[in-house]
Amino acid sequence: MNEIGGAPLFFLEFGDIVIYFSPFTITLFLLALVFSVFVLVSRPERQIDIAFGADAFYAKVISLSELKFRRFMSIACGLACMGAMVTGDLFDFTLFVSLVGICNVGIVAAVKSRHVQNAAYQYGLVALAGTVPMFAAAAMVAATTGTLSMLELAEGTIQVPLAARALLVLGVMGEGMAPFYAAKAEMFRAPGAPYVIMCSLSSLLIFLRVAEVILVL
Amino acid sequence: MIIQKISRILSNFDNILPLFAAACAVMSIITLISLPLAYHEDQLYPKRIVPGSTLNPYDRGGPPFTQAEIHSQYPENSPTAGYVTAYLTPFSLFLSEYTSYMGTTIVAHPGGILDEILYNTRGLDTVVEPTILFIAFAIAAYIFRKGGDE
Repeated sequence: MNEIGGAPLFFLEFGDIVIYFSPFTITLFLLALVFSVFVLVSRPERQIDIAFGADAFYAKVISLSELKFRRFMSIACGLACMGAMVTGDLFDFTLFVSLVGICNVGIVAAVKSRHVQNAAYQYGLVALAGTVPMFAAAAMVAATTGTLSMLELAEGTIQVPLAARALLVLGVMGEGMAPFYAAKAEMFRAPGAPYVIMCSLSSLLIFLRVAEVILVL
Repeated sequence: MIIQKISRILSNFDNILPLFAAACAVMSIITLISLPLAYHEDQLYPKRIVPGSTLNPYDRGGPPFTQAEIHSQYPENSPTAGYVTAYLTPFSLFLSEYTSYMGTTIVAHPGGILDEILYNTRGLDTVVEPTILFIAFAIAAYIFRKGGDE
């Protein structure tokens, strides 16, 4: 097999969906895992605005219910990232990436800032539209090669059409990668540091993983 | 200078959706130009629609209580695949023999036919799909309740 991320160390079989841990995917998996644990145990930051001309400041406090919801969404996003990092099935990968997109909207859904809400709305629309080329790519791969398993596709006996790869990249780019990154970057203006950083980290991880997927196909 | 202009346009998130739509349109045209793509005949999970069958959309062939031949990617990982009609309870078997609606009562009839392609060979997909739905429901419910408070 075409080993981009090193030789697979071990496999975890869920029927036809075989999860594989190679040095590359296990590194990304551990990164997502460690950050999810950070999110689980840490308290959110409190943004402080200094009032000019006076000896005063405003502290933005996050209420407990909002904190719980955002922590839940961040951990869900972390789990989705972990799944996307190690899965060995193309359709499963697209499902996990769309789950990451939904969770990212969820992380900032509770924020009261109007600016952040507008950015999240725009990001949500792009993430929604991005699923269309992504699943189209998975369907094209299934139709032209007869399989969805990356381990089978990596053997390179059947060529995946270039259009399918390009559609996959376009769809994943819609989930929060440059040049469609601006809406996501504005979402970080929301208070609550460890949770909103998960938006950024998930983009980075999925970017690294999709590069491997495209090279393997 | 040109990079400055481009980055100024890209930094406004209201321009992101039209840009992505344009990219999708361009990509669709390129995909259409690259057609036709060859269809691979050796597909996983082949299925024939048998018009006369009472189990119609879910009929994978084979008699009840024996294993039908399913072409899966890793047959060794799902040894029980192909027992679709083996999931028929005696009542379901009765329904399927005397009425023509068994294939469509799957939702209302627990213990009826399970599509074993979904549940047996591609189980993780089935888990992730409802997870996406549940997360979306959780967000919608939270926003709805938050709106009610204020």
